[in-house]
Amino acid sequence: MGIEPGRLHFSWVSSAEATKFVDVVKKVTSEVKALGPNKQFVKKKG
Amino acid sequence: MSDWEPKIVSFLCNWCSYGAADLAGVGRMQYPPNIRVVRIPCTGRMSPKFALAALREGADGVWVSG
Amino acid sequence: MDVYNSGLVQRKAIYVEYAQAVPLKYCIDPENCIYLTRGKCGNCAKVCPAGAIDYEQKEKELTLNVGSIVLAPGFKSFDPSKLDFYNYASHKNVVTALEFERILSASGPTMGHLARVSDKKEPKKIAWFQCVGSRDVNKCDNAYCSSVCCMYAIKEAAIAKEHAGNDLDCAIFYMDIRTHGKDFERYYDNAKDKGVRFVNSRIHSVLPVFGTDDLEVRYVDEAGKLITEVFDMIVLSTGFETPPEVVKLANDLDIDLTVGNFAKTSAFDPVATSREGIYICGSIAGPRDIPQSVVDSSAAASDAGEILSSARNSLTTVKEVVPETPVVGDPPKIGVFVCKCGINIAGVVDVEAVRDYAASLPYVEYVGDNLYSCSQDTQDAMADIIKSKNLNRVVVAACTPKTHEPLFQETLIGSGLNKYLFEMANIRNQDSWVHKNNPELATQKAMDLVRMAVSKVALMEPLEEAELEINQEALVIGGGIAGLTSSQSLAGQGYNVHLVEKSDVLGGQALNIYKTASGEYVQENLTALINKVESNEKIKVYLETEIVSTDGFVGNFRSILSTGGEEKNIEYGVSIVATGASALEPDEYNYKSDERVLTSLELDRRFINNDPELSKINSAAFIQCVGSREPDRPYCSRVCCTHSIENALELKKLNPEMNIYILYRDIRTFGEREYLYKQARQEGVIFIKYSVDNKPEVINRDGRLIINIVDHVLRLPVEIEVDLLTLATAILPPNNKKIAGFYKVPVNDDGMFVEKHAKLGPSEFATDGVFLCGLAHYPKPIEESVAQGKAAASRAITLLAKKKTNTIGTIAKIFSMNCSSCGVCISICPYSAPSYIEEGPFTGKAQINPVLCKGCGLCVASCRSGAINLKGFDNDQIFAQIYALKEAV
Ligand SMILES: Cc1cc2nc3c(=O)[nH]c(=O)nc-3n(C[C@H](O)[C@H](O)[C@H](O)COP(=O)(O)OP(=O)(O)OC[C@H]3O[C@@H](n4cnc5c(N)ncnc54)[C@H](O)[C@@H]3O)c2cc1C
Ligand code: SF4
Ligand code: SF4
Repeated sequence: MGIEPGRLHFSWVSSAEATKFVDVVKKVTSEVKALGPNKQFVKKKG
Repeated sequence: MSDWEPKIVSFLCNWCSYGAADLAGVGRMQYPPNIRVVRIPCTGRMSPKFALAALREGADGVWVSG
Repeated sequence: MDVYNSGLVQRKAIYVEYAQAVPLKYCIDPENCIYLTRGKCGNCAKVCPAGAIDYEQKEKELTLNVGSIVLAPGFKSFDPSKLDFYNYASHKNVVTALEFERILSASGPTMGHLARVSDKKEPKKIAWFQCVGSRDVNKCDNAYCSSVCCMYAIKEAAIAKEHAGNDLDCAIFYMDIRTHGKDFERYYDNAKDKGVRFVNSRIHSVLPVFGTDDLEVRYVDEAGKLITEVFDMIVLSTGFETPPEVVKLANDLDIDLTVGNFAKTSAFDPVATSREGIYICGSIAGPRDIPQSVVDSSAAASDAGEILSSARNSLTTVKEVVPETPVVGDPPKIGVFVCKCGINIAGVVDVEAVRDYAASLPYVEYVGDNLYSCSQDTQDAMADIIKSKNLNRVVVAACTPKTHEPLFQETLIGSGLNKYLFEMANIRNQDSWVHKNNPELATQKAMDLVRMAVSKVALMEPLEEAELEINQEALVIGGGIAGLTSSQSLAGQGYNVHLVEKSDVLGGQALNIYKTASGEYVQENLTALINKVESNEKIKVYLETEIVSTDGFVGNFRSILSTGGEEKNIEYGVSIVATGASALEPDEYNYKSDERVLTSLELDRRFINNDPELSKINSAAFIQCVGSREPDRPYCSRVCCTHSIENALELKKLNPEMNIYILYRDIRTFGEREYLYKQARQEGVIFIKYSVDNKPEVINRDGRLIINIVDHVLRLPVEIEVDLLTLATAILPPNNKKIAGFYKVPVNDDGMFVEKHAKLGPSEFATDGVFLCGLAHYPKPIEESVAQGKAAASRAITLLAKKKTNTIGTIAKIFSMNCSSCGVCISICPYSAPSYIEEGPFTGKAQINPVLCKGCGLCVASCRSGAINLKGFDNDQIFAQIYALKEAV
């Protein structure tokens, strides 16, 4: 099916790890941003 | 392009990452405003269908966190 | 001055005490408000939209009629300005540990950025001085140890290193490191590995370095050399003190205090004061950390409740039940309330815009914004709106469901709506608070979150919660002092107890102990307790009995007991695990080959038996930490330092001329036990420090018992000849795996049970309905085992007293029609909720027990036939949220 690597992320963060949570948000956001808008999967409007 | 902000759907486990997200708020830690959180009872609830649906509906990224 | 931030920053004359304050409400500081002091200003009354300012509020005197009193007035941190040689008052970079906590805290004045006070420079070298205002009768009057400061200093040093990176040099100057709490020794070991320096020296002066903001410290190191070091910052590990107003309160209430100004108690009644009906908890009972304070508070609640049990429920009012409005089949009529949370949300997110946007969404009938949605008057107003507009679904966009969902659900119930017809949008914790600098995108995010919540709530259905009767009997496993105390407390509050003991006697380890640290005879008190338990008709004692199997769940457990092969079934609602621990049998220091070498408990036995040989001894030694604090058992057994010192003093009593040596690593006489340590030194007991990589050697030279040790301080080998050697052996947990399996509770690497929460839930397990006390939790002295025995009973009673519990509504349900009987759900569920139906038309298909299901959804995702649904988190509902995202704002 070929989802580009970097569009889909998994992580494990315990409820006490706020700092880790923020680090992952930043990482995920910057990686997705680097890929540019998602065109491949979007349902054709119609 | 530089103005473009991605939308990322995040599936967060109620007991783990969702709690961490709340705690980040209590600590006033700042992070980019691109994630949209769907609270799920446990990552066990996660199904690949949700991730695919999000991408099909125009999300630029999906993040699942337990 | 901001008191919460230890005066490191200023606060306004109208303030919220701290971010987590409950209630989160502003108040006026009457000493600094210029309206109250000089009659000017009054600005806040003019700008407050809620009209909440009332300058007329005065202190009111209320008279309450009560049956018992619990005192929890806490402590004051020692004020080091009295000790001028530390330069605390005159130098900004000398701070107390409490001030340093604020500097490290994300909500503190530097937002968690490590910076020293004088010039905001990042420190490169920080020193901690231990025992400031503790263990000191020369410069202050506090002879006791404050118990918690060693651990907090290590924690602060470790966190400082985490914040500032490994180059930060952290040095802790100490007399003894006292990490006697659960998992503390490991933390200490880790800190050493991370490079925190521990220097065994007490510092007597601190001098500012001329022309800089640095501080020069002089000390004599372990080798006896005088060293001078310069630090950027100094943290004083200040101790506990009972403030004068609490001393006065105690005097007014006529309760006895110790010389350290803590409440006087008996080891067998650790939360009762000298005056009947008045109980204590927390640091008024002696310096202590959070878990022990929590244990005490539950124990005090139990004691206070016991004397009142006849009056229970005599003054309660019963809540009126509002009948539920049926909504199934009706089109959704959604109400959306957007909260400002003062300025917490409104300061960033454009709340009005979000509210108006919500009005444009499908099925939304009503929108509104609230200043504080959680305030009582807003709750009432919301209930009125729900009723008058006939709303049948509600969305609140506010803080977080994790803390506030139950509150708003109560409002729904009060308005006649099923509580599951509700959804929250998290626009504070996960929006306004974390995107402060981006109000526009934060507002957009809030709109998205509201739209997602509206789409989901439209699909929500009323859910049912099953009501379960709680069996009103309790099982206590273990008949040691903790289990006996729990049984006694439960029976005292009217509950029937099954007390199961594996051996043929009640009493456990306490049967082997001579005296407590407070000097009370254990055997007399223990016998009295056993007699009370045995004669209590509510307590059924089963000796030589073990549990064979257990099933069921909170409120409805079933076990099979076996007494000498004879089996019996019992049913009960709660279970208390009090299975204790035992003494290690050492295989070093000639224990097995020389009968002059004893364990602590064997020496106690001789005292209990009044052994006349003891007074004939000329020379005796004790070796500490035998089997404790070693790589394969990295914990401190907590009781042994005090125990050996007590026994040394007993021997001195028998023969004041006796030479007594205590060979130790750190002396851990925490709290007021420190007085015994001081007394022992005064009476001539000799303390010799050794290190774990250079342990003492015991030899038999021509029948003489000789100990060779290298004195850690003098660095010289010493030879001691003794007639008696006592080994302070480690406390070992039994094999707990079986019990752990019965109740699905965890055991840690040391073999001890793992409680629900290390700080806040020490006497209960994460498994509902199962509780924990005594040595089964962690090594502890008798007074702490008794307190925890009461605490476990108290926690259990909060459950029993409800008589009924509700299951949750958000659980999985199987549509038998679609089930292919593959059994995946049965094998995957961590709570054993699914099973095969055994009769009727759907025999062989799976079903879910709503009582066992915790709603995790694992089975839903695993079911290949799509036969399982998770109520409240349905596929439809989650898809609705995903689809809701598509629409651009
Ligand atoms: C070496 C040593 C020295 C100590 N020194 C001191 C001291 O000087 N001062 C002081 O105050 N305290 C001291 N203590 C601590 C004190 O003994 C305890 O705090 C207290 O006695 C613990 O009571 P307990 O009920 O938790 O455990 P225990 O006394 O161990 O009782 C547990 C009971 O449970 C039973 N049991 C275990 N498993 C099962 C099962 N599966 N089913 C049924 N029954 C079971 C056991 O047979 C036992 O009777 C010392 C302890 C030790 C081991
Ligand atoms: S020895 Fe006691 S008083 Fe001294 S710092 Fe450690 S815990 Fe505090
Ligand atoms: S002798 Fe016991 S209490 Fe003292 S330090 Fe060693 S293990 Fe801890």
